[in-house]
Amino acid sequence: MSIFSHTSIPARTIIKDGQSSGNATNTGAGDTTISPKDAHSTGVGDSGRWSTRRIAMYACFVALSMALSFVEFPLIPGVPWLKYDPSGIVALVAGFAYGPAAALIVSILGFVPHLFISPWGTLMAWLVAVGLSVPAALIYRRMHTRSGAVLGLVVGALVALVLAIVGNLIITPMYAHMTVAQVAALIVPALLPFNLAKYAINCVVTFLIYKPVSDLLNRSAR
Amino acid sequence: MAIPRIPSPTSASVDAYDMRGLAASLREVRYRYAGAQDWALDGVSLDIRNGEYVCIVGANGSGKSTLGRLIAGLSAPDSGVITLDGHMVFDEAGAHADQYRRARHDIGAVFQNPEDQIVTTVTGDDVAFGPENLGMSRTRISEQVAYALDAVGMTGHLADDPTTMSGGQQQRIAIAGIIAMNPRMVVLDEPTAMLDQDARMGVLTILDKLHRQGTTIVHITHHADEASRGQRVITMSAGRIVSDSHLTAEPAGADTDAYDRPSQDDFRHLLQASGMPVTWLRAGSSDEYAPSDSSPASSGVSVTAAAPATNGVSDTADSPDAEEVSAARGPALAINVDHVSFTPQGAAFPSVEQLTFSVRSGETVALMGANGAGKTSVVKLLSALARPDSGNITVAGIPVATDHRYTAGAETPHGTGSAGRQTDRRARAARWIGHLPGSAVKPLSRRQRIELRHRLGLVMQHPERQLFAHTVAEDVAYGPRNLGLSEQEVTQRVDEALELLHISELRDRSPFGLSGGQQRLVAIAGVIACHPDVLLLDEPTASLDEMASARIRDLLADLHHRGVTVLLVTHNIDEARALADRVLVLEPPKHAGQQTSIRHLHGTRNPEAGSMSTAPDASSTERTTSEPADATDDAADIHAGDGSGRSAIAMLDARVKTVAFLALMFSAFAISSPYQLAVGAVLTAGIVAAARIRPSLLLARIHMFLFLFVFAGALNIFFVRTGTPLAHIGAVPITDDGVYTAIIYACRFTLVIILGAVYVETTTPTAMTDAFESLLSPLKRCGIHVQEIALVLSLALRFLPTLRVEIMAVTYAQAARGGSIESGSPAQRCRAMCAIIMPVFAASLRHADNLSLALDARSYEEGIRRTHWHDMHLHFRDGVFCVACAVYLAALVLAAVLL
Repeated sequence: MSIFSHTSIPARTIIKDGQSSGNATNTGAGDTTISPKDAHSTGVGDSGRWSTRRIAMYACFVALSMALSFVEFPLIPGVPWLKYDPSGIVALVAGFAYGPAAALIVSILGFVPHLFISPWGTLMAWLVAVGLSVPAALIYRRMHTRSGAVLGLVVGALVALVLAIVGNLIITPMYAHMTVAQVAALIVPALLPFNLAKYAINCVVTFLIYKPVSDLLNRSAR
Repeated sequence: MAIPRIPSPTSASVDAYDMRGLAASLREVRYRYAGAQDWALDGVSLDIRNGEYVCIVGANGSGKSTLGRLIAGLSAPDSGVITLDGHMVFDEAGAHADQYRRARHDIGAVFQNPEDQIVTTVTGDDVAFGPENLGMSRTRISEQVAYALDAVGMTGHLADDPTTMSGGQQQRIAIAGIIAMNPRMVVLDEPTAMLDQDARMGVLTILDKLHRQGTTIVHITHHADEASRGQRVITMSAGRIVSDSHLTAEPAGADTDAYDRPSQDDFRHLLQASGMPVTWLRAGSSDEYAPSDSSPASSGVSVTAAAPATNGVSDTADSPDAEEVSAARGPALAINVDHVSFTPQGAAFPSVEQLTFSVRSGETVALMGANGAGKTSVVKLLSALARPDSGNITVAGIPVATDHRYTAGAETPHGTGSAGRQTDRRARAARWIGHLPGSAVKPLSRRQRIELRHRLGLVMQHPERQLFAHTVAEDVAYGPRNLGLSEQEVTQRVDEALELLHISELRDRSPFGLSGGQQRLVAIAGVIACHPDVLLLDEPTASLDEMASARIRDLLADLHHRGVTVLLVTHNIDEARALADRVLVLEPPKHAGQQTSIRHLHGTRNPEAGSMSTAPDASSTERTTSEPADATDDAADIHAGDGSGRSAIAMLDARVKTVAFLALMFSAFAISSPYQLAVGAVLTAGIVAAARIRPSLLLARIHMFLFLFVFAGALNIFFVRTGTPLAHIGAVPITDDGVYTAIIYACRFTLVIILGAVYVETTTPTAMTDAFESLLSPLKRCGIHVQEIALVLSLALRFLPTLRVEIMAVTYAQAARGGSIESGSPAQRCRAMCAIIMPVFAASLRHADNLSLALDARSYEEGIRRTHWHDMHLHFRDGVFCVACAVYLAALVLAAVLL
């Protein structure tokens, strides 16, 4: 894993919270003529809480989440029906970059295409995706450090794990003729390891890519 | 009518100057990008008169695009004074938002990338987006949409999906979206850069027409011939205007683009004049004297037709034709393609047809041909990222595709070499073992695939888009690590590759902080580090500056001396002449349209990414791709609010439909008895009939889920222990109750899927998001930006297929470097995942940047009062539908209680 070593990255410069929209960053220390980030705003559609840029960014994140939600593959050999999809990573990254509201929007809208395929399953996916990304984004907003990111991811994963198990107890009987007790019997052998593996992948990948993604986000200013 | 340059840069004189008659006026404007050292615009002063046709030319980085954005009112400068359409939008006091807003409503902007300017998946809705943002009335919007589509010659495409159109059509629709807003000035930033010759002429003709009607045109271009169409040519260099000339004369400093794609005749002529050995690869079937090509038995005939016509200028002995190829040179061939045809998934016609060619070991061969000739398809076929319909492919001795019909079947004079006999035996075995149904072509085995990865290097188009790691060195090391080399070897390989491309100094930089040219070099180093014997490059120098291009050419020359076989796809004749031993020219298959050959590549079955199934067709954005004919038929009928020709279900108010369908789908999970199932089936059948959906289409939409039903059913069989045991599987009893519930569950699941498919089939994304917006509008009181969120959803549905293509492209590229998320240790899989996710995020940001400009150009703003082209009024039919659904729900409950 040395390929992703973070050793050269100073803490505290990680992700600029999108809510403050950039002006805080002083790129040109000492050089007064260097343009600050939002210097080229016309003040029309490219500023404010819902700038066109923000809308376009959210839209592409949601589209990415939708696209990835269809990329499913089984995690545990021999248990082909518990499928993993990487869409949760997008909500986590969006939450880190733009705050809990973005995490919520990407989590919810990202599964809308599934609403007309598997309605109850979509409710379940919403619950879990929100449970993972929103707490993580909330904590990271307060603690803007790498340890804050780790804490956020761990808390998010725990919340999502609880929600996933509770949700499975309620929703699985609708898809399969099983009693709640029968589903409960599956918690330890199937649900727990699968969901843990799923959140582990989402969290590890998010942790590895959120720094470069945020660099890209900050770089691509007009 | 020469306009004198106005020398006075002070704002006082600008105020004094008569602004009437001026579309735009800039004084001493300076602009610098964040973190940049040099001014992108350094004291630009410029007046553009109303009705003028101005072309702005200049090299990459000269500031012409920046200037275009300032003139379009999409960006503000650092200093200077700008007046747009009589509005003083920027002066010493900075940007005046209200002035910008007013000015922008009269200025349209069109950008380079046609796809990213399209905001929704129905042409009419897309064109209506701008008028909606301007708050026009519904009737006015209808007029504007009709007028604008007529102006660009796309009237018949009102209901078509623009995202599946060719680049030229997309760009015309983008222009229509601007025309519909009645702009007084249109600023176009290289609108033809991504188009072929015909599409280019289409766009230029539209500009001429707009100009004749009095619209001010500002056209930023790097084509000298395009610039000469204007009345006035402004040349930019290093952020300054270096010349400003009126009419006819071609600008002195204008860059002629090295990547200009000459028309087919010029191309032929130039190639012939170049003196290189040229082989024209014609598809067997496109020749009139090939009577039949489809059946393998007749391939003997089509071989003759497919035999390359050798250019008279060249030395015939040097260019091996089909006969020599398969007969004698078996072991010396690095690449052998034998009668290969390939139809991209979803395309109506093959992009490669009966193609035969070969490349000897150590040769450098240029593969050329017009857009749509199938060059990129060939690259994918050779690298086993796509499987041909028929034919044999061997690369570096590895059978990439083996067609048993061809080798084992017809006795042709060409198909029987020693290699042929070998594949023949293998093919017979394959027939016994049984290969994938539906294709007679056997792909390579897993071991052979790994072997291919070791031997074959692939540089796809825009390879820089696959960069992902923190540092250049880590990125280059990705391929060698996947080969399983030791850390020491990996480091050695990385150093060597960086050295070969002269980028050792970039070693520890982040790849994302480099210039485009540097990124390309790093990406190529990542392929070279795998030490391929055979290297495929798909337009490696396209849109690169001269220095980076020269490095790549040096590298290829270097590799050639080291004995590496190189197949170089290029448009550039000079490049081919400098590097290649000979040239192969692909002639497009008879039916190849640009649309089919490029658009549908993303759907190509990729054995490596087998689990990356394309999304179920129920996803709304896929709706029209496979049904172009239907869409066109309906096109004439569909007008906003006028539902003639649409089915009863399609005409329902989208809000009613959304709520009702969700209620039906959610409640279907309560079905637990045959009576309830019968009620549900009757209602569903009624809805399908009312929606007038052909059963075959419905089946196509839901067949992906059939295996799910089988699985769900099987699960129930195992879990139900009550009832009479019918059989035992191991210790698990199969009971009649189990079978009964299995059937009920599978059936109710089917109902849900059918209802969902009907909803998606009869509802446009615009209607769906309008409905969501309307339904959620009470949340506005809680401070939730419902309008913006609805727009995000609408845009996301639009960009879903685009990003799916990006994901596929990156997955291909990383697979070619040996990355796989489906095998290996957890650490390897995580690394493979990052190597895909990171570039895909970068792609999302790239699209988002373009999209946000396009939204600005269409005058979208947070919280504006938008109108909706489609009317949302409740009609009688909506009431009837609600009652029907309520009766059904009551019947479900009654059936549960009474029976």
